[in-house]
Amino acid sequence: MAGILNFGARRKCHLHEGDEPISSVPFVVIDTELTGLNERKDSIVSVGAVRMAGPRISLGDPFYRLIKPRAALTRESVIIHGIMPSDVAAQADSASVLAEFASFCGQAVLVGHCLAIDLAFLDREMKRVLDARIENRLLDTAELFGWMMNRGLLENCDPAAPGEPDLYRLARWLDIPVSETHHALTDAYITAQVFQRFLPLLRREGISTVGELVRIGDPLGGGDRFRIKGEISSL
Amino acid sequence: MIQDEILQFLKKVPPFQFLDDQVLTMVVQNLSMEFYPKGAVILKQDSPASDTLKIIKKGGVKVSVKSKDGEDVVIDYRGEGDTFGLISLMGKERQKTTIVAVDDTICYLLNKETVYRLIDDHPPVTEYLLQSHFTKYIDKTYGEMHSKSLFYGSSDHLLFTTLIGDIAGKEVVTVPESASIQEAAREMAKHRISSIIIADRNKLPTGIVTDRDLREKVVARGRDVSDPVKDIMNLPLIRVDAKDYCFEAVLKMIKHNIHHIVVIKDGALRGVLTNHDLMMLQGTSPLSFAKDLESQQTIEGLVPVSAKINRVVGLLLKEGARAGNITKILTELNDRLVRKVLEITEKKLGRPPVPYCWIAFGSEGRKEQTFKTDQDNAIIYEDADTPAKEEAAKRYFAEFSTLAQDSLLRCGFPPCPAGYMASNGKWRQPLGAWKRYFSSWVAEPTPDAILHALIFFDFRTVYGEIVIGEQLREHLAGILKDQKVFLGHLANITVQNRPPIGFFKTFVVEKTGEHKDQLNLKVKGIAPLVDIVRLFALEKGVRETSTLERIEALRSRHTVVAEFADELKQAFEFIMLLRIHNQFEQIEAGRFPDNFINPSRLSNLEKRTIREAFGLITKMQDHIIEVYKHMIL
Repeated sequence: MAGILNFGARRKCHLHEGDEPISSVPFVVIDTELTGLNERKDSIVSVGAVRMAGPRISLGDPFYRLIKPRAALTRESVIIHGIMPSDVAAQADSASVLAEFASFCGQAVLVGHCLAIDLAFLDREMKRVLDARIENRLLDTAELFGWMMNRGLLENCDPAAPGEPDLYRLARWLDIPVSETHHALTDAYITAQVFQRFLPLLRREGISTVGELVRIGDPLGGGDRFRIKGEISSL
Repeated sequence: MIQDEILQFLKKVPPFQFLDDQVLTMVVQNLSMEFYPKGAVILKQDSPASDTLKIIKKGGVKVSVKSKDGEDVVIDYRGEGDTFGLISLMGKERQKTTIVAVDDTICYLLNKETVYRLIDDHPPVTEYLLQSHFTKYIDKTYGEMHSKSLFYGSSDHLLFTTLIGDIAGKEVVTVPESASIQEAAREMAKHRISSIIIADRNKLPTGIVTDRDLREKVVARGRDVSDPVKDIMNLPLIRVDAKDYCFEAVLKMIKHNIHHIVVIKDGALRGVLTNHDLMMLQGTSPLSFAKDLESQQTIEGLVPVSAKINRVVGLLLKEGARAGNITKILTELNDRLVRKVLEITEKKLGRPPVPYCWIAFGSEGRKEQTFKTDQDNAIIYEDADTPAKEEAAKRYFAEFSTLAQDSLLRCGFPPCPAGYMASNGKWRQPLGAWKRYFSSWVAEPTPDAILHALIFFDFRTVYGEIVIGEQLREHLAGILKDQKVFLGHLANITVQNRPPIGFFKTFVVEKTGEHKDQLNLKVKGIAPLVDIVRLFALEKGVRETSTLERIEALRSRHTVVAEFADELKQAFEFIMLLRIHNQFEQIEAGRFPDNFINPSRLSNLEKRTIREAFGLITKMQDHIIEVYKHMIL
């Protein structure tokens, strides 16, 4: 650990974005629950997020808000995330929640599992209500998983299981407790823990800066993206 | 719901389980979580100190230190629910141990600010954390750190070298007697203090109110906060002098089961000393041990707690405690243990049919216990007024003493091989019978009677109706007056045991057997001093039973003691300390503690001091021979 710190210190004089050691970078791990997966019709029901300082998950200040959705909650989505129309009827509209969310995230690197989906909705909604864009650096744990699988870093992972890195299966495999599923905050928390477990494995592969991390974990990085998205869409 | 799970976890983990929900919620808000894969070095010796207190949620770690030859020595393992990193967090120094995950490990990390806040506001947390972090550490490293020299031993004498005035809070906040509870509480909140002194019209302290009083006497009982604060204050006000050593304060706190003590200097209020102040000074405390003991409700619960008593000795030794102080603290702790055992036994059997008291004698009676010694105890119960009652008492105490003996055995006190125990019908008698025993021993000093007198006359009430014990003590003082014959017999025994100094001022040691070339410190050093001082005390009707207290009481009443009091105390303390050190080393080495030392292993200074002590014993014995010359055989 000390070695990495020294490495960072030595290079401080010409440190630019991407060179920061992972151990000192703020991350915000996010998840959203949606009325459905149709980008045109559906909208966000809830947003959850937890902060991380390098490998440390901050437990004291989680972010969780329900949003009064524009689209009606479909029967299917209610079954998945358990949020009833009555739960959200009295909630704030997306403008105030997203403004709060944006300030919660600040300049942190945003982390999510299959982040592209959440991002698509968040981006569209931000643009619509706040006329803003998400410009944070992004990191997808599903992408990290794929990268690590390809290098054989996840030796105990069942090779017979399909490549699709379902969050809960991943959690089970890593022995992370899953008390509740399809809830934006607990899912973000699970994702954070998955990410936390990945970090030492990645460090062993020489991944020590944020720049390297976001390159291999780019949510829009590989062709895989569409396949995963397609599979989830067909749920 | 994430926080809820953590809250539930903390509620099962000491010391956090001592906190209420509101404080726990604050704790959770300041937690973070980190994952360490198996084999990861979490903290490294000589690297920067830990920035957080780490609570193990899952997995485990090993704690090691580098020995002088660079080898890593594992001193401890910590598992789920344990904490680490406290010492380096508080010490601002470099990390003193290396901590490695022995399994995939998840820790909750509590930031420094919150740790300090808990330490400031919640003494039980402090106590627990410090105890769990220090005792383990010190226990394991004691053997290596322990210096051979008793005189120039360890450097931190803290409790015994620090004056109360040096660490007591200097700010004294008082409220007048006329103040309401709310006004007092407001003052406490304003000054962020856990206690407040109530002063009378002349500004003299009359009582103290602590957080505990507000909790127990006000909130829990729904008392009106506009009531006068006087109604909930603690009386009498327990005080210590600023010029006393901190150890005195510890003793008083244990005795009265309090955490705040008023400090007086030159007759005026000087401050308040809290348990917390002492903890910060001392690391781990006999007080927290006492509390641990107090909270037990079953013999099963007492057993593991009592096993820790030896640890306290190790700590006190390390702090350079004087022997008298070590035995004083040990006596207080052992007394508490015995009382607790008896309390539990009473609960099991119901109230006794007549009042009684439980007495201890021998070293326990003299408050000179070191490591756990044999049970030496007896029961005195009030004379019953009807035969039926007498019969009921007999039956009750027979069962009671058998149960108690068994429980004490389980707590580490082996039964007395000679049967000087309450479970022996002979030593479980009504007050009248005891008076007759004592009288007959004095009147007819047969060898048996003298032996019994030596054993029982050092008795001390440990539990029950103190008055009953006092009545027997009163009786003893009465029957001893001018009993030259009896005292002569005691004198005779006292001078038979001459110090083992040879013609050329060499030590006379055991010539054969298991302890060849060794010296028995108990028989040759401590016993003669105890006997001499007991004789003087009985001559003068001194009621104290401890040798050091007897010397102090005799200082003004006995011409020889007046002259040699300091030498006697010094000699006694020295031999006692030598013995305790020796026994502790034996226990540490996994051997059964005995009283033998090899003089050739002592430093020259130690040898000289023992010789001086033996010289003093000879001098005292010569004096006794002179006084009782016609009776010495």
